[in-house]
Amino acid sequence: MEDLKLTLKQQIIESLNLQGMTPADIDDNAPLFGEGLGLDSIDSLEMMVLLERNYGIKIEDAREGRKVLESVASMAAYIEQHRKI
Amino acid sequence: MKPVYISAAAALSPQNSFDADTLLPDVISSDNGKLYVKDTDYSKFINPVAIRRMSRMLKVGISTGMKAVQVSGVEKLDGIITGTGRGSMRDMELFLGDMIRLKEEALNPTYFIQSTYNSVNGWLAMQTKCTGYNQTYVHRGHSLEMALLDAKMLLHDATEPQTYLVGCLDEMTDEYFIVKNKIGYWKKELPNSLQLLQHSNTQGSIGGEGAAFFTVSNISANSICSVEQLKMLQQPTAASVQESIDNILAAHGMKLKDIDVVLCGMSGDVRFQQLYTPILENTTAHTTVAAFKHLCGEYDTSTGFAMWLATKLFQEQSTHEVLIQKKGINPAINNILIVNHYTLNSASVVLMKKTS
Repeated sequence: MEDLKLTLKQQIIESLNLQGMTPADIDDNAPLFGEGLGLDSIDSLEMMVLLERNYGIKIEDAREGRKVLESVASMAAYIEQHRKI
Repeated sequence: MKPVYISAAAALSPQNSFDADTLLPDVISSDNGKLYVKDTDYSKFINPVAIRRMSRMLKVGISTGMKAVQVSGVEKLDGIITGTGRGSMRDMELFLGDMIRLKEEALNPTYFIQSTYNSVNGWLAMQTKCTGYNQTYVHRGHSLEMALLDAKMLLHDATEPQTYLVGCLDEMTDEYFIVKNKIGYWKKELPNSLQLLQHSNTQGSIGGEGAAFFTVSNISANSICSVEQLKMLQQPTAASVQESIDNILAAHGMKLKDIDVVLCGMSGDVRFQQLYTPILENTTAHTTVAAFKHLCGEYDTSTGFAMWLATKLFQEQSTHEVLIQKKGINPAINNILIVNHYTLNSASVVLMKKTS
């Protein structure tokens, strides 16, 4: 799980072009949107693409997507259960 | 139509046009047939959260527009009008490339959103909090001219003081250069860009890009110059260019010798050189004939670079020797005529006058 979280943080930094950030700067449980990393709605679309491209996961329900994208920890837990790649 | 007044101008170009206080303090050239925009510190003009997602040309366009607004000191814009011949080419190429590579699955939304022609206008509206008129013209070689005409018409009808941000941007990518090379846009044997006009006996030009923005108002106070008249020509010929110049001058009670500087869009391409022959032949010893495409390259909205140059010439009251094709004797720079073309499909003539 810890390896997956680290990989996920690296993928988020690369995919969202979070210049100057390292995986160590992202807390596992900190909210990704709003007061946490300060990501926005376009970033959420980019992260849905990240999940589909790297883990074969398609989230069609917006409410479910919102819960999954809450933090790195919630994303990693969902990936562990649903990954197809 | 009434004149409109330019109170501030900004340009990001292959030259040091953005950060320098004087006109062309150092002249930049290229040997590979491509003149790319000289980058600046974009973080000074764009929200740091947003900038990470932006392609180079979005940053170029937004920074140029924001600088024009800052220099003008205008607090509230009445609208933003932009012209672009090609929009954000890089984002479009990335999006189309991903479509092929990923078989139309899991495509990144950012490239799609930002490759649309009006994305610069949208960002400028958000950054300036301008909820007024917002329009982008995509009319190839007449894109900036259409934006300027729109502003002139809006300001002609306005009954109260109004200010619009009017500008243009176009980007050159490696793929664009390759594609256009196949249809003869660029010279086969590439000269140094500063020698471009000495190679006007062969076909092709050199590629360029840039952005220029102007705050344009219907009040003359604190303005640098006016745009008196603008004429666009489709399928231009030497005769139609000459006729347009004659008509514009006559409408303003002027003769060619009253023009202090003619800024010509000669591109070093023998096929289009004829458009400028009447100017070179008919201007008298009074008028300076200057050229600019050896400094910015050929692109759809290069008239924007010429208009920025004109504002600098009015402010500095002197030309730069790298521009001059024929030196005139008129001591001051009060009237400038821009004559430009983009391929044989479009040309334009713009008359500008110093106001302060």
